Amino acid sequence: MKGKKIMRKLLMVRYGEIYLKGLNRPYFLKALVNRVKEAAKPFGGRVWLHDARVFVSDMNDAEACMERVRKVFGVHSVCPAIEMEKDNFQAICEQANEMMKDVNGTFKVEARRADKRYFMDSPTINRTLGEYVLERNEDHLKVDVHHPEHVLSVEIRDQAYLYCKVYLAVGGMPVGTGGKAALLLSGGIDSPVAGYMIAKRGVQLVSVHYHSFPYTSEFAKQKVLDLAKILSDYCCGMKVYVVPFTEIQMEIHEKCPEDYTTLIMRRYMMRIAERIAKKEGALALITGESVGQVASQTMEALNATNSVVSMPVFRPLIGFDKSDIMDYARKIGTYETSCLPYEDCCTVFTPKHPATKPKDEKIKEGEDKLDQEALIEKAVENAEIVIL
Amino acid sequence: MPIYLDNSATTRPCERAIEAMTACMREGFYNPSALYAPALAAEKMLRRGRELILSSLHAPSPFRVIYTGGGTEADNLAILGVLSGVHGGGRILYGAGEHPAVKEACQSAPGFEAVEMPYDREGRIDLSALENLMIPETKMICCMQVNNETGAIQPLSEISRLHARLCPQAHFHVDGVQGYLRVPFDMKALEADSYALSGHKIHGPKGVGALVIRNTVRLHPRMVGGGQENNLRSGTENTPGIAGLIAAIEDFPKANQLQELKMHLWQCLRELIPGASVNGPAPDSEYAAPHILNVSLPPVRSETMLHALEGEGIYIGMGSACAAHKQKVSAVLTAMHAPRHLAESALRFSLCPQNTMEEMERTADCCKRNHAILSKFQRR
Repeated sequence: MKGKKIMRKLLMVRYGEIYLKGLNRPYFLKALVNRVKEAAKPFGGRVWLHDARVFVSDMNDAEACMERVRKVFGVHSVCPAIEMEKDNFQAICEQANEMMKDVNGTFKVEARRADKRYFMDSPTINRTLGEYVLERNEDHLKVDVHHPEHVLSVEIRDQAYLYCKVYLAVGGMPVGTGGKAALLLSGGIDSPVAGYMIAKRGVQLVSVHYHSFPYTSEFAKQKVLDLAKILSDYCCGMKVYVVPFTEIQMEIHEKCPEDYTTLIMRRYMMRIAERIAKKEGALALITGESVGQVASQTMEALNATNSVVSMPVFRPLIGFDKSDIMDYARKIGTYETSCLPYEDCCTVFTPKHPATKPKDEKIKEGEDKLDQEALIEKAVENAEIVIL
Repeated sequence: MPIYLDNSATTRPCERAIEAMTACMREGFYNPSALYAPALAAEKMLRRGRELILSSLHAPSPFRVIYTGGGTEADNLAILGVLSGVHGGGRILYGAGEHPAVKEACQSAPGFEAVEMPYDREGRIDLSALENLMIPETKMICCMQVNNETGAIQPLSEISRLHARLCPQAHFHVDGVQGYLRVPFDMKALEADSYALSGHKIHGPKGVGALVIRNTVRLHPRMVGGGQENNLRSGTENTPGIAGLIAAIEDFPKANQLQELKMHLWQCLRELIPGASVNGPAPDSEYAAPHILNVSLPPVRSETMLHALEGEGIYIGMGSACAAHKQKVSAVLTAMHAPRHLAESALRFSLCPQNTMEEMERTADCCKRNHAILSKFQRR
């Protein structure tokens, strides 16, 4: 039995999809607990797994800690709860009354009895506790068992847990359980959302950003690092490769047909990202592309950029409208930063009329003029690594 | 050592200002409104600063000095503080290339019609248009002394004459933030009613400035509270800032080489880069401020050249630093009808007396080298 104290406040963290796992479940749970531990660490929280719940106690700022834990992938919801001894039912009643005395409207009690040996069954707890609370708060509370405005939950486990608010969290799977992938992070609206979506499935991210100084500024780079920082809250840290890209863009601009410059540039970005992914032990690439959004995202252009790498390329936004992506970005908190007005590497050399239906021969003709291996090697070698 | 040529954005505080501020914080920190002797010393320092500012502007006694939290506050106080005492609306005139601190204040004055005074191709107010614009209902005229982007000295005496003839009731406010001490100014001769200045543009600290205003003008405070500054700007006086401002004014060299430095930079640029052209009055003209040179080096875009120079330790500006993150093409150059390719490649070099001829040469040389490389790689 945990804790000798009679009563204390803690966070009860519930997980979602991990329930569906069979023999692998301990592996996922271990990862989840570790991620919650990392999230609670700045708040001094103690974290443990018990009886199908993760608990966090002793944090110095409960509210901030909860907000942080709600961002951990794999967490379904978080409840600030009161833990107390289950044998003293009178004390439970008094605590329930305390929690409901300032609440107005309709309510019900919802008991869950994980300890089947407990001396009352769930319906009895509901009735007894409901009656106790109602008698003392009749002027502002009414019972509605079908559509209550407030639910007072009681879980009888090794201890009793009372809570009346459930805060939904991000869901998904704990980061680290789904391998590692490299995200092409531009600074626009789409790529952070794409990274978020894949990370949510438990994938650890490493970001690759292309920097075109002096065509793009230190501010533009900082903006990307700020975006990576926002993602890193969800992703348990983030490593960003800032790849110097100006020389490659200049070579392409000078030697390749104008309408193919964007496409060839994208092919280089994919090649470099794959090179970095391999170095980092990542097994896939992630991009924020969506069919037809811009010239380099037509079906033909996607084929042309896809064909230069052998790794799978995840494009979680492929079927999304721009407005949906913007909504998503607002939800995860990257939108405002993405909208800062710094030029990014993709727009610097945009041709007036990029090829939307590129021909393989013309791509080859352009690329043959470039010393591909040397350019890529130099870019990867000179990449600045920022750990967030 | 980096070369700093963005002095219109802000300047490096001079040693004397830093020393004066440090001393003020260490020893002279007393509240000027307090009743013991050291507080009186602080009060005397404020008084000395007011006299210094008035004499630097040839403003005799009917003018007063109100210390503010900078140029923007001084402009706001003059414009909105005067207009809130004017009933029945009317017209406000402001130059097409005014700083946002003036433009936005004019546009936000409730019940008034804010009208732009157009610029000519040199970036000066087009006097031929003023006859029609200055109607008798004009309640305020706002004009900057020197344009912050092009260095164009505005035709203040001509405006003053028209003002006296066409709408003598209007308040005439001059935004002197970019001109103060670098271009002579005579408040009395110009019959200006108010003048705004800022500390950090003249090697003083940020967060301090002043409004010089005619005593007879009815001014409504924008900040109320303890009634400091004759009830016109409440809040304990920023004594360290004001100490720094005073030191900076005293330290600013009256005889300086700004004009020679600017001409040297321009001659080097013109020699090395054939397509170079000036935005604003010709650098040797009497209408060009000695410390600002706005040059276009097409086809290289402003931002690209700025960062290329940054890469070599040379810091310059593109336009108003306050607007650099907001808009692509400068509002001032647009008001001058500058062709788009020139507006998009405009660079602002703004100098200070500490710059050297050698720095001008290195800067021009660096522009030439980067221009040769970058002009090949521009958006087609």
